[in-house]
Amino acid sequence: MLLTFSLPYFQVHGIRAPAYTVLGTKATPYNVAIWAKQHGMDHSYFDRFWTYATQVLFHFNLGRSYKENSSVWGIISLYVPRTIWLAAVSLALTTIIAIPLGIYQAARRNTVGDYTATGVAFVLYAMPSFLLCMLLLDAFSFHGPHLPNSPPQGVQAWAMFTSPEGFILPVAALTMLSVAGLSRYMRGTVLEVLVQDYVRTAKAKGCSSRRTLFKHAFRNALGPIIVLLGLSIPALLGGALIIESVFNYAGLGIQTVFAAENLDVPTVLGITLLVAILTLLGNLLADIALGLVNPRIRIEGTKA
Amino acid sequence: MTDLTERERVSPIEPPDPPTTLSTDDQIVPMWRQRLRIFFHNKLAVASVVFLFLTIAACFLVPVLHPTNQTNQAATFGLPWNAAPSWHHWLGTDSSGFDELGRIFYGGEYSLTLGFVAGFITIVVGTTYGMISGFAGGITDTLMMRLIDAFLSIPYIFLLITLIAIFNRSTVFLICIIGFTLWWGNARIIRGDALLIRNLEYSQAATAMGARKWHIIRRHVFPNSISNIVTVATFSVADAILFLSALGFLGLGIQAPQTDWGTMLQAGTSQIQNGFWWEIYPLALVFILVVVSINYIGDALRDCFEVRLLER
Repeated sequence: MLLTFSLPYFQVHGIRAPAYTVLGTKATPYNVAIWAKQHGMDHSYFDRFWTYATQVLFHFNLGRSYKENSSVWGIISLYVPRTIWLAAVSLALTTIIAIPLGIYQAARRNTVGDYTATGVAFVLYAMPSFLLCMLLLDAFSFHGPHLPNSPPQGVQAWAMFTSPEGFILPVAALTMLSVAGLSRYMRGTVLEVLVQDYVRTAKAKGCSSRRTLFKHAFRNALGPIIVLLGLSIPALLGGALIIESVFNYAGLGIQTVFAAENLDVPTVLGITLLVAILTLLGNLLADIALGLVNPRIRIEGTKA
Repeated sequence: MTDLTERERVSPIEPPDPPTTLSTDDQIVPMWRQRLRIFFHNKLAVASVVFLFLTIAACFLVPVLHPTNQTNQAATFGLPWNAAPSWHHWLGTDSSGFDELGRIFYGGEYSLTLGFVAGFITIVVGTTYGMISGFAGGITDTLMMRLIDAFLSIPYIFLLITLIAIFNRSTVFLICIIGFTLWWGNARIIRGDALLIRNLEYSQAATAMGARKWHIIRRHVFPNSISNIVTVATFSVADAILFLSALGFLGLGIQAPQTDWGTMLQAGTSQIQNGFWWEIYPLALVFILVVVSINYIGDALRDCFEVRLLER
């Protein structure tokens, strides 16, 4: 974790361009020098990294934004829950859609339905995500059912449940993207389980195909599926960035883009750090879920 | 196979043909030709290759053979903006008055070059890192892989934005940044391969006979993991093109007056309510087809490297 952030940090502070962005292009060298001193630029790289790291680790202090007169946490704290909700709801929907789809494709492999699903996923995966969002907007907002083209602008995270219609399109776009990304692996994962011996045994002893699929195959495929879902979390948060930008949903993604345009390095770093932590939390949850569905892993874990 | 059946038909008294007169069918077909044959059996894959080559050729040749003004904004003064397709502009003009068809080729030069070069960088760096990690083993391996884990926990797009915010936005820099941020996944796959092959019997035999590590990497591990390397490289190219388009959407891609497909699509989709379809759909179609065909070629390559399929 620490190493991850030393890298951008070392590169970041070698450059004084932020001073000009903050003070304006007409800033005198004297002003730039003062600004640099205020932000500790006269210390060595190692000094500054050490200060940053200790502040983040022991004081949960992400520093102050260059551009806004506020602490980084003050800027982003309002937006964290919104991005988490967007990602969580999409992840839940992805799970609901992708798992049955994977089972369907594997059970009815090489049929028209399988090929269609594979083809659609291929095209969705090959499409830039903002193009998908724009096409959705065109079809369902400008024409057709006239859904709102962006979620309500308040910052309360619960808006998703009090007035859901504004969230339909962003959540749908994010879900479609992650289902497309996952389905390539999901089918293979279920297929791998379906050719196992115990599935053949179940069929041989006269299980109905439905019972075989859900009692024997599905339960065993659940482990790899959870691993896949856990691995998809970074892609989900990355996709959320684009989707927030398209639908103007005030979350972490939009803040990142905004801060990046202003070379507001502490804010960008803070958000990136936070997103990395969210990813790790997601992976942790996936690991716990894996232990729940597969007792063998739990036992191995306690032994080790 | 046909020769075998012929030989069976020959009466046992006659001596079999001397080996020099064997027909070409009976000679051992080199591995790469068998694989090529499997690849060419896959009609869709061949179509993908042809399409990709045509697109690349068009992107690099058309601007030379039939130059259109794509950079001089002053020269577009008085020309129609957002003009519908006509005989003079086959796909109309964009919001700056540039010819849209010419611009698709022009932007393609940047998108494709960047995609292929960045993909190449990811695979070189990823392979090197993965091989070193897989062969070093022990604490070095653990440390190198934990580092990869740490990097993988940051969504690529956040990291790309961070780096681009900090540095400049020149084309060369974009290539480097995409190339040097997308290799972590590749490194992990290659490392898994290296680890697997290193412990196979023939590698161990080579070790037992006193071969050095470098020799084993060069003669055993690299040739046997080339299938994964090529496949992963193909997907990396597609990913690099996609990430560049995402950056283009955020305004962080190739800077005006140069352009890339992502930036062009962004410009087109921002006018979606006006019904300027020629600024979106032709390019979107080309873009999607290019990425789909690259991904499909990757899938087909993986299929034809599968040893199980060679046994026909």
